[in-house]
Amino acid sequence: MNLTRRHLLGVGAAAGATVLLSACDNGKDTAAPGPATSPRKGGTLRIGALGKASAITRDPHGVQNNESDYLIISLVYDALTVPGATSNVAPRLATKWESSADLKRWTFTIPDNATFHDGSPVTAEDVAWSLVRLRNTPSGKSRLPGVAPDNIKAEGRNKVVLTSDYPNSELPLLARLTTFTVKKDTAEIAGAPGTGPFKLVSYSGGNAKLVRNDTWHGGQVLLDAIEVTMFDSPQAMANALLTNQIDVASNVGAVAARVAEGKPDVQIVRRLNDMAMPFLMRTSDGPYADVRVREAFKLACDREAMVKQALSGYGTVANDVLGTADPAYAKDLPQRRRDLAKAKQLLADAGFDLGGTYQLFTSEDIPGLAESATLFATQLKDLGVKMEVVKQDSTTFWDASWQKAPLCTTYWGTNDSVVFFAGKTMNSEAAMNETAWKEPAFDEAYRKVVSTVDESARKDTLRELQKIEHDKSGYLLWGMADGVDLAAKKVRELPKLGGYGRVQLEKTWLAN
Amino acid sequence: MARQLTLLAGLLARRAALLVVLLAVVFAAVEFLPGDAARSTVDRGSSAEAVAQRQAELGLDRPVAVRFAHWMTGVPTGDLGRSARGEPVADIIGAHLPNTLLLGGLAFALTVCASLALGCAAALRPGGLRDRTISTTATVALALPEFVVASVLVLVLALWADLLPAVTTTDDDGWPASPTMLVLPVLALAVAQVGWNTRILRAALADEYAAPHVDAAICDGLSPWRVLTRHVLPGALPSFAAGAATSVGMLLGGTVVIETIFNYPGIGTVIAGAVHDRDTPVIAGATAVTGAAIAGVLLLSDLVRAWATGRRA
Repeated sequence: MNLTRRHLLGVGAAAGATVLLSACDNGKDTAAPGPATSPRKGGTLRIGALGKASAITRDPHGVQNNESDYLIISLVYDALTVPGATSNVAPRLATKWESSADLKRWTFTIPDNATFHDGSPVTAEDVAWSLVRLRNTPSGKSRLPGVAPDNIKAEGRNKVVLTSDYPNSELPLLARLTTFTVKKDTAEIAGAPGTGPFKLVSYSGGNAKLVRNDTWHGGQVLLDAIEVTMFDSPQAMANALLTNQIDVASNVGAVAARVAEGKPDVQIVRRLNDMAMPFLMRTSDGPYADVRVREAFKLACDREAMVKQALSGYGTVANDVLGTADPAYAKDLPQRRRDLAKAKQLLADAGFDLGGTYQLFTSEDIPGLAESATLFATQLKDLGVKMEVVKQDSTTFWDASWQKAPLCTTYWGTNDSVVFFAGKTMNSEAAMNETAWKEPAFDEAYRKVVSTVDESARKDTLRELQKIEHDKSGYLLWGMADGVDLAAKKVRELPKLGGYGRVQLEKTWLAN
Repeated sequence: MARQLTLLAGLLARRAALLVVLLAVVFAAVEFLPGDAARSTVDRGSSAEAVAQRQAELGLDRPVAVRFAHWMTGVPTGDLGRSARGEPVADIIGAHLPNTLLLGGLAFALTVCASLALGCAAALRPGGLRDRTISTTATVALALPEFVVASVLVLVLALWADLLPAVTTTDDDGWPASPTMLVLPVLALAVAQVGWNTRILRAALADEYAAPHVDAAICDGLSPWRVLTRHVLPGALPSFAAGAATSVGMLLGGTVVIETIFNYPGIGTVIAGAVHDRDTPVIAGATAVTGAAIAGVLLLSDLVRAWATGRRA
């Protein structure tokens, strides 16, 4: 589940997020889809997705920096599980899963009717081989954390057993993203037959043509075919949509949506909780080691202004807790608002030096990120803090500033799990402890959550965990960016989930 | 003849040596940038151990000189190494360079034809309305950045008038799906270069018109057209060839911007992305082939100038 930042752009699965047409809430004049008719089989969907020619990869277990690659791979191959609408884990190639009492041994069941595109049946051996292949890639350890390659075993014809080194209630959730299955002993991975809802017909330079898999184990697929076109820039993709060269511009962003507002032939699809872009305050040393300084900064932030200006209004205000789309997200925690008086008092109490000039490091990897930094620096002036924004080239930023600078930006696309962030970025042993946070009470809460089976007890602990995160962590999460797609009017049932759910096109159809 | 061939061989050898130096500089430059291809191709926050494993996979644990030497030994056989994502560099270039050459070639042909026509049209009646219109427009055009021209063209001809496709999509073989998709990118690339070369040709023609042999031809009562094509244009050709040759570099450089705006599947975006990822074999491979292409055109331009000059002497 741990993917690269660029990959994660699309991976903000938002359980329960709804497709909002901007006409609905902002009075923006935008086309609603035409009259509701029953789903219709047939038609070719032309979809654009972002990607760079130099970064193309066809390996389902590789590092997919291109959204276009990830889209194609997700149509051709099935992961074990996927984000769902009612719970954050839904079945895909695995129809069910169960754990031992100690939450260490997890058994995934593969359906009998699952076949590869060449007609051969999917066996547990194929699945286990693919998982081991994934686990043995350099990034495999963080994608299947706690599961050693030797602890992935086929059991019988249709069961695969993953044994974790420690109790982990989140393993099915972690299996959502890149647990794609290819045939055992596949030598030529590019274009190898998959098990997914669409079959690859042709592929060239990041673009692909796919046709429906009529025997897909997951049910009936409606579209005849999908054509995926890779776009280097959101601008070009938006132009292609506006001139009817494509039907869907996937994750094209708020700027394109603003251009499309008011155009009668274009649907603007907003997927909530798609992207978190918090500020990271280093907690172990430096100016933000004092929790009072961190709270002062959180109180200095004008969140509404950030959403309005950095996200062009395509977003929602957040409350410094990550995983905002989790069904268990603590909505009852008091919303933090701008309070300059209190913030100034906290800085004074902490003895924060207002004479110096501080630096906020950022990249320009995603739209709105550098803008948010600049805006926050301006807001900090009201607190008497002199903040200089340092924009860096992406590779430089991730190499030299991220996890090192006292204050910097980051972004995450998987936002439907509080526990995901707790385990990945906040508990003191996390490999990506982005703010170098060591909080025993938080660690204790985290350990309790992942090893508790009882739902109600788990929920209480999860609430406690979020309270600690809200009060003390180094994360200043001011808002959540929407994922924004543009689509032609005839396109129906586009995926309703944020980010990662966006690639599930098996239910999409085209009206006449 | 033998002497000329020796000269040509010497020229070629010097150009090749220059290319090798350029490639060494590419390797060194990427080395000096922060971050490396291993980090760009593992998940964010991967452990030092995972990065080291990736570095070993990519051979990045060896000194840069060794990597350069190893990469260079493959070049004569056409082996340009593998990208950081495991794709053969020759395949990446093979899939994208022909598109860029097509785009650049068409833009170059348009540049040469249009600036020849406009330059001559302007020079036939110096100081006339036509001359002033062409010269002023050319000056404005050469000052326009490609992305401005491109954005205006898309806005007017694609988004408003709906006459031409806004972006390029590809067919199964990776070529533009329709020839109409080439129109806007070619225009966007060529406009500034047409302006530049028209100015050069116009100036060179003016100089030639001032020459005594042209006065003589005019006094002989030759038609203006014949004076232009027989007595003026040949003298202006060396300057024009030199100007057009510099346009080749500008056109290929301009494709990075143009390809992004029109989503044109060329080598420019590959290079930009490879620099982002610190993917040295891809950068070096693309530099080698585009460098060779530019060197080839410059050589051709030198030959044209030598021929035109020799012809006059």
